Amino acid sequence: MAYLAAFHWGWLAGGLLLGLGMGWISVVHRGRPLSPKMLGAVAAVVAIAVAVAAARLLPGRFGYWCDLGLALFAAYLIGCTVGTVLRQWVVARHAAARSPAR
Amino acid sequence: MRVFFRWASKWWPGLLPLALLWCLAAWNGTVPLENDLAARATASLKEAVLAQTQLTVAGRDVTLAADAFSEDGRKDALARVAGVAGVRLVNDETRLVPEAKPFVWTAERDVAHVVLGGNAPLPADKARLLEAARAVVAGVEVVDQMGLARGAPAKFDAVALLLVNQIPRLKDGKIVLTDTAVKLTGMARELGGREAIAAALKDVPEGFAVDNAIKAPPYIFQANKDPVAVTVTFTGYVPDSAVHTALVAAATRKFFDEKVVDQLKASVGAPAGFAGAATVAIGALSRLSTGSLVIADREVKLSGDALYTVAADQIRASLSGDLPQGWKAVADISVRPAATPVDASVCQQLFAGLFTQGKIRFDTASATIDRDSLGLLDRLVETASRCPSTAIEIAGHTDATGDDGANQALSEKRAQAVVDYLIRAGLPAERLTAVGYGSSHPVASNDNEDGRAQNRRIEFVVKE
Repeated sequence: MAYLAAFHWGWLAGGLLLGLGMGWISVVHRGRPLSPKMLGAVAAVVAIAVAVAAARLLPGRFGYWCDLGLALFAAYLIGCTVGTVLRQWVVARHAAARSPAR
Repeated sequence: MRVFFRWASKWWPGLLPLALLWCLAAWNGTVPLENDLAARATASLKEAVLAQTQLTVAGRDVTLAADAFSEDGRKDALARVAGVAGVRLVNDETRLVPEAKPFVWTAERDVAHVVLGGNAPLPADKARLLEAARAVVAGVEVVDQMGLARGAPAKFDAVALLLVNQIPRLKDGKIVLTDTAVKLTGMARELGGREAIAAALKDVPEGFAVDNAIKAPPYIFQANKDPVAVTVTFTGYVPDSAVHTALVAAATRKFFDEKVVDQLKASVGAPAGFAGAATVAIGALSRLSTGSLVIADREVKLSGDALYTVAADQIRASLSGDLPQGWKAVADISVRPAATPVDASVCQQLFAGLFTQGKIRFDTASATIDRDSLGLLDRLVETASRCPSTAIEIAGHTDATGDDGANQALSEKRAQAVVDYLIRAGLPAERLTAVGYGSSHPVASNDNEDGRAQNRRIEFVVKE
């Protein structure tokens, strides 16, 4: 994994930034959230993919692409989390600044 | 956790660009990643002992196909590739090279090639042997037909290298190493080569057995009598300086009017009885007007022209009868056409000319003609045949040492011995008269050895 991170740091940084942006937007975005069922399905798919990668079940290039996809997804998730936390913090500070003025 | 899932439920729109990013990363990154892994995996195998190594990389999986020379070597190679950072899986397609039983290595030499064959235990050994062979036979093509196999005896390296070093000493032949048995066959390049190989092979490590069946090259001794240049040239080998000196001295006596050109070299390996056989053969050659002599091992080949028929018969008989036991003679002797007749005075001049170049020698105080004088006698016979209508007086003279009566008798006997020889050679007896003068007709002083030697003589006097 360290090798993948070193070799594809640019693409992973891209995934991280994408996640950061998505996380930042998602706090104030009024779009429809994914239903818990769908979320569970996505989590299951990701868990299966992680299991396949860990067991090295996919051979050759498919195995490598699976690892790469999971690495990008992990970077995206980290980016999303950080983005969401940051935006939550900014929104909370903004709200706190406005309420004493009322 | 619940908070996280609530957040995460809103992150799905980013998955589409993420998928796009994934595709782009896979599209751009796969081949460079594979190349990078292949380069580093190849570098990791630099010190592994393998043959026919093939590395193929798919994604992060490396397939290693190679011939290994031991189980440990095979495992080591796989571990080296698996240890390369970034490699996910190593597909093992390595195999052990077959074990050769018996383990055979060969080196074969002919005029233009050296062929190394059989098996070597490791690629490095193979390269080392090839390099050593190229170094020792510079200028000769070295062909590599060696394979690789397990099962070489211990110290194979040292023995094979020692054997390669013997290749320059071979003219042609084959060296075969079968497990711990070394067998050499063929012909040594030079006299003494066989002995040099035997000496070198004493150094083979313990446990190896050597069967040295290398033959020595023929022991050649040659002489060529050239009547135009008036030389007799000796080439080839003699066993030692004593035989060398003796043969050259004999040649100088026998070839009374030719210059002896000595190009002989001393070398070991002469067949038994060489000196005796060479002396007989040189004597036979001295009686030919032109001819060549080749002694190869125990075979004497003499070819050329005798001066007259009886001489040809005598030379053939001498060659077959006088050679030491076990020697073989091949005589190809023809008779030179008779020379044109001359008148009596020319005949006398020719006799005088021959006697200024050589003299008929006898054993000390005896009337037995020394065999060294047969060449001169043949020339005298030939000359006498050129003036068939003349009578010839064969005059014997002695020095003044000793009793006059004895000298007289000795001179008569010696003159008669020469006459007998001439008659046996085919000259009519009625043309020849033997006369002994004792010491009464000296041509030099009898006070010193040189003068006495000149006085002991046979003369031919042509009578009209």
